[in-house]
Amino acid sequence: MSTVVSAQGITKRFRDVTALDQISFSLAENKIHGLLGRNGAGKTTLMQIMTGQGFATSGNMTIFGQSPYENETVMARVCFIKESQTYPQHFKVRHALESARLLFPDWDEEFAQALLADFRLPLGRHIRKLSRGMHSMLGIIIGLASRAPLTLFDEPYLGLDAVARHLFYDHLLTDYAEHPRTVVLSTHLIDEVGELIEHVLLLDQGRVLLDTTAEALRGQVVTVAGPATAVDEFAANNEELHRERLGRYARATLRGTFGPSERAQAKGLGLDIEAVSLQDIVIRLTTSQAKTGGTTSGSAASTPKETVR
Amino acid sequence: MSRLLPVIRVQLVGWPNTLGFPWLLLTLIFGVNYAIFLAIGDVDDGPKTGAIASIYIVMFVAAINSITQLLPFTMALSVIRRTFYLAASLLLLAESAVFGTALYLFALLEDATGGWGLGLEFFGLGFLDQDNPLLQILVYTVPFIALGFLGIFIAVYYKRFGMTGMYLLVICKLLVLAALALLATWLDLWSGIGQWLGDQPTAAWLAGWPALLAALLAGAGYATIRRVTP
Repeated sequence: MSTVVSAQGITKRFRDVTALDQISFSLAENKIHGLLGRNGAGKTTLMQIMTGQGFATSGNMTIFGQSPYENETVMARVCFIKESQTYPQHFKVRHALESARLLFPDWDEEFAQALLADFRLPLGRHIRKLSRGMHSMLGIIIGLASRAPLTLFDEPYLGLDAVARHLFYDHLLTDYAEHPRTVVLSTHLIDEVGELIEHVLLLDQGRVLLDTTAEALRGQVVTVAGPATAVDEFAANNEELHRERLGRYARATLRGTFGPSERAQAKGLGLDIEAVSLQDIVIRLTTSQAKTGGTTSGSAASTPKETVR
Repeated sequence: MSRLLPVIRVQLVGWPNTLGFPWLLLTLIFGVNYAIFLAIGDVDDGPKTGAIASIYIVMFVAAINSITQLLPFTMALSVIRRTFYLAASLLLLAESAVFGTALYLFALLEDATGGWGLGLEFFGLGFLDQDNPLLQILVYTVPFIALGFLGIFIAVYYKRFGMTGMYLLVICKLLVLAALALLATWLDLWSGIGQWLGDQPTAAWLAGWPALLAALLAGAGYATIRRVTP
């Protein structure tokens, strides 16, 4: 499996704010990656640096093995759709599509037309007169029909209704199956995309909190419920992310390895093991991180702050 | 540079709004001028109007718009800054040449029709006249280029450094000009400068020096756009 995106020690500082703090990861080819995190986690900043639109304070970013900055060969293979995209004042929907057709080498006009019909987007309407949701649809159509080997969606569906969002997921999956490519999907609607995402990159306060396959992650985090004493005993061997109590009963969300032997142990203790949804995993991880104030890389975090001072 | 041509074509998408508008405006202004002077009747020495300046101003504004509106959009479609800048510059040069030549042809037509039958000087203002046709075209063309690159530079500079940077640039420019003025006073150079300025032919005023200015601005704009974020 070859690597499409590789980031090494990417740091981005805006005056006294560290938006990205020593971020390193790599994204494998032809997978759908979920770039998750709370507001202000640094997702957009990271994608801007990935596409050569923003500048890292330090660190090294390569896309298809080369730096993306002012690199036409690399950028011709990248499509980055962001929620806040502005279009020229005089542009109608068809003007934006015409531009995209001119610029993306793998553009599929037929597919674009099909999407246009599915989303019921009027070609002749001025873009500035589109509703919020229609504005998002236009970005999605460009992103899908560009068939760029690396396609990034940053919160692509602000204002989209549930029907349109599922249209997007369906089209993304179908087209991805026929034309495999590397997709990076940044979103807050984690439960909706939980089934789509193959790899999770979770950012929190400018650091990588998780970098794992969605499947492995689901196995790593479970909820156990049962008598509080039994939960205590079982939780002792694992990282506890969250706990709810009700009298002598307790429910704890744990992170660790849960193989057959662990499951047998839980059963022996009279505990129920439940799977946790991707969204709950993200919530538990980012909130427990906020409480402890960042335990994983405390030393790495303190160095840049000192230099800022 | 394989994407240079597509990027130029993207800048021409919806061209009636960008390229057509200046000419529509000029036609309207011409119409209004013509109607007014037709209504006034005889004017001694033939009526003159500076309305042709409007199309130059429109070109300046269009150059600013090409950066503030097209740059973020084009970069969103994965175009790099260098290609965008080159495309915008080439398009500006081509447009200027076409516009300048068109104005020259209109001036010829104006002469041939005796000022549209009214002795009106709309396109061929007396002081613009050159003996050499090529020089005449340059006198019409180069100001378009200079104003275009001025607009591009201002817009790129603003995108790069924001309002604070804009204030700093203006303050620095004023300081430099004030220092030069003081220096000229101190060295008692004003009469010499006045004479030198007066000796410059129209062609130098409208083609020579603006060409130099345009080249400087084009270079400065390129240096600035390299670190612009859309």
